[in-house]
Amino acid sequence: MSEYKIRKGKEIAFTISITILTFLGILPLFHIIATVFVNGLPVITKESFTFLTGTFSNGGIGPAIAGTFILIFLSSLIGLPVALLVGVYAYEYPNSIIGKATETLLQIMLEFPTILVGVFAMSIIAIPMGTYSAFAGAFALAIILMPYVAVYTQEAMRQIPFTYREASFGLGLSRIKVIFRVLVPLSKRGILTGVLIGMAKVAGETAPLLFTIGGLYESYPVSVTKPVGAVPLLIYTLVQSPSKGNHRMAWGASLILLLIFLLIFIPIRVSLKEVKL
Amino acid sequence: MFRFFTLFTGGRKMKPCFNKIFKSVRRIDTFQIITLPAVIFVFLLFVLMLFVYFYNALPAFIREGLAVYFKNIWQASEEPGKEYYGLIAAIWGTVYTSMIAILIALPISIAYSVFVIDYVPKKLKNIFIIVSDMMAGLPTIIYGIWGVFALVPFLQKYIMTPLYKNLSFIPIFSYPPVTGYSYFSAGVLLGIMVTPFASAVIREAYQMIPFTYREAAISLGLTRYEATKILLGYIKPAIFSGMILAFGRAVGETVAVSLIIGNTFNLSPSLFAPGYTISSLIANQFGNAYIYRHMLPVLYAGGLSLFIIGLIVNIVGLYLLRRWQENVRI
Amino acid sequence: MNKYAIETKDLKIYYGRKEIIKGINLRIPKHTIFAIMGPSGCGKSTLLRAFNRLLELNKDARIEGEVLVFGKNIYAHNVNPINVRREIGMVFQYPNPFPHLTIYDNVALGLKLNNLVKNKDEMNKRVRWALEKASLWEEVKDRLWRYPACLSGGQKQRLVIARTLALKPKILLMDEPTANIDPVGTRNIEKLLFELKKDYTIVLVTHKPAQAARTSDYVGFLYLGKIIEVGQTKNVFKKPKNELTKKYVTGILV
Repeated sequence: MSEYKIRKGKEIAFTISITILTFLGILPLFHIIATVFVNGLPVITKESFTFLTGTFSNGGIGPAIAGTFILIFLSSLIGLPVALLVGVYAYEYPNSIIGKATETLLQIMLEFPTILVGVFAMSIIAIPMGTYSAFAGAFALAIILMPYVAVYTQEAMRQIPFTYREASFGLGLSRIKVIFRVLVPLSKRGILTGVLIGMAKVAGETAPLLFTIGGLYESYPVSVTKPVGAVPLLIYTLVQSPSKGNHRMAWGASLILLLIFLLIFIPIRVSLKEVKL
Repeated sequence: MFRFFTLFTGGRKMKPCFNKIFKSVRRIDTFQIITLPAVIFVFLLFVLMLFVYFYNALPAFIREGLAVYFKNIWQASEEPGKEYYGLIAAIWGTVYTSMIAILIALPISIAYSVFVIDYVPKKLKNIFIIVSDMMAGLPTIIYGIWGVFALVPFLQKYIMTPLYKNLSFIPIFSYPPVTGYSYFSAGVLLGIMVTPFASAVIREAYQMIPFTYREAAISLGLTRYEATKILLGYIKPAIFSGMILAFGRAVGETVAVSLIIGNTFNLSPSLFAPGYTISSLIANQFGNAYIYRHMLPVLYAGGLSLFIIGLIVNIVGLYLLRRWQENVRI
Repeated sequence: MNKYAIETKDLKIYYGRKEIIKGINLRIPKHTIFAIMGPSGCGKSTLLRAFNRLLELNKDARIEGEVLVFGKNIYAHNVNPINVRREIGMVFQYPNPFPHLTIYDNVALGLKLNNLVKNKDEMNKRVRWALEKASLWEEVKDRLWRYPACLSGGQKQRLVIARTLALKPKILLMDEPTANIDPVGTRNIEKLLFELKKDYTIVLVTHKPAQAARTSDYVGFLYLGKIIEVGQTKNVFKKPKNELTKKYVTGILV
């Protein structure tokens, strides 16, 4: 009888430890969100308009927000077309050597250290250009964005039932037309999800921006070939300064960044079954 | 189209030859003409990246050989002749913190996967998964700022200081945790950050275990605990692969780590000592590396090593995962 | 020679190493409904797809022999499969109108992407003509801008037929078109086939011998990759020459 009790005891201990460990794993997210809100909200609500639109010496992060949007836009411009083409290729030729190599390369790039991408972008764009620029930063971000969108595109198209492929070919359409005029539109939801997830990720990246965009917080950006600021980079800089005032600004900016992230991420995630990390 | 050719060549004799060329030309359809360049472009870009690191690191190799990876010294100087650099401290920091990270990630990601699949009622399951995915996608700078102002003070006060006070005779606790910026803090934060990635892999593998094995385990009258142990043994390769991928992630993380690791050249096994990782070294030193003649190539050499570590880890992790998946699906 | 719409000469089809169709010689006369019947999984759908070169979508498939459409071998080396598919239309087992296109756009898709019409006017006319020919116009004329999801199974299948007819093919291949449709819808489609026979040649694959008996002029019994018996429908059903055929039509061999 006591042997049963020992087994039962182990069972209970196991259940308890799993539960504790799981919550230990989940807890940080809530604590982080809470901390960011608690520290950031007072900063933002104090004078929201100034904070959101003013320049740094006036207590605002407007130029940084503008910079982040410019970077998202520009990197999408550069990265999305390539991503779509690569994703479609990987879908259409899954068994060829190039196709399999492409899939592997995409998986590798998904987790590649972003600092290395940033330094690379610096080497081949910022240095030859002689200046930090939005373009250099966008280039780095495009490299990071590309595998996300490509993988999502490939997955979305894989979900299409074979019969639609048959039907389109049966109508005497060429392969390009079947893929780009029928199958891609058919999977646009999945592709769009990938695009949004990629953009959300890229909006929050800091390391690729360290040596590419330079930073611009006292005036609004006007050119893509000149330095620009970004919210994550600003936070990084501010956290390292000794000034308490700067720290407060960092919290405010963090809250903005968090909100941007949540606003993009949650709706997508809720309407989708599975997400590639 | 074919008739067009025959007009010029007087057809019949040339027919078989032209047919063969025609066939192979037609095989490359317009679709490939549009998409293949993009694919090739991406491959070339990746190779170019590797080349750039190698090319820029070359001066360091020429000057010091591979010793640059094994020395612990960082002496910047206005006089080029007096500059000496070595990366071992950074390499040590990278490996040490990432190991701490996966030591934390291992139990939590397994527990989380089992919990979510076996214990949570269906309605709540999605919420847990969403939380994990959010943690995976959360901007790392937010982890960083939280790390600096919330995690480190907490760790320093409640974990590091008591441990130091009472157990400092043990080498790993022997460094005084003055500020809290240390391998330990960085490792813990990295652990929190990479757990969701390992969880995703393990969770999917655990979910895919064919129902018949679960049935078999339960029908043998095993407790949940015992049955789970068996099922986890079944997906061991996936767990291993998940850890490797998590390690790869941890190794590459820059911003969060550089804010809380203390950025000091140390080669200490003590958890509470501050240190450097390759990525935080690059982040920290690149800005002023232009002033010195020989620092830049060394940093590139560091980047190169990170590149190769990242590549190897990812390839191995993916290969193991795929091989296991193929075996299981039979 | 042009008496037949489709003629196969020792047609063999392989999936990898496995021989699915083992040397078939069929002759399908013009303007008839030719049924191919047989138990499920014996290669009927595969055979049908050899007629419009849709088989090539499957990379494992290999063909030997000839398939002559109106006297021309469609597998000759200088023949573009795309052109073949424009001349031969196909209707599938599951009604598959494109869910993301409106009813109108579904019918117009083939026209638009093949550049078969010159302007909006002509397009409208053709779409209407195709829908009328498919006996669907009256039912959808007021909702051309809605999506196929609002149609019943039988209507969806007629939409697919309209989509195919819009390209003005000469031959229609039907792969168990009523397998997933209710009896009323089935009846409507079978009636439609009689109408279409006047202008097209129809090859109908079915796993219900009763349907072959009801609708077709000629029928071929395909079993394990070989044509066991072929001929006029009434003869094959009333006086089957082969034991296997007899068993199949009486329901013993399923």
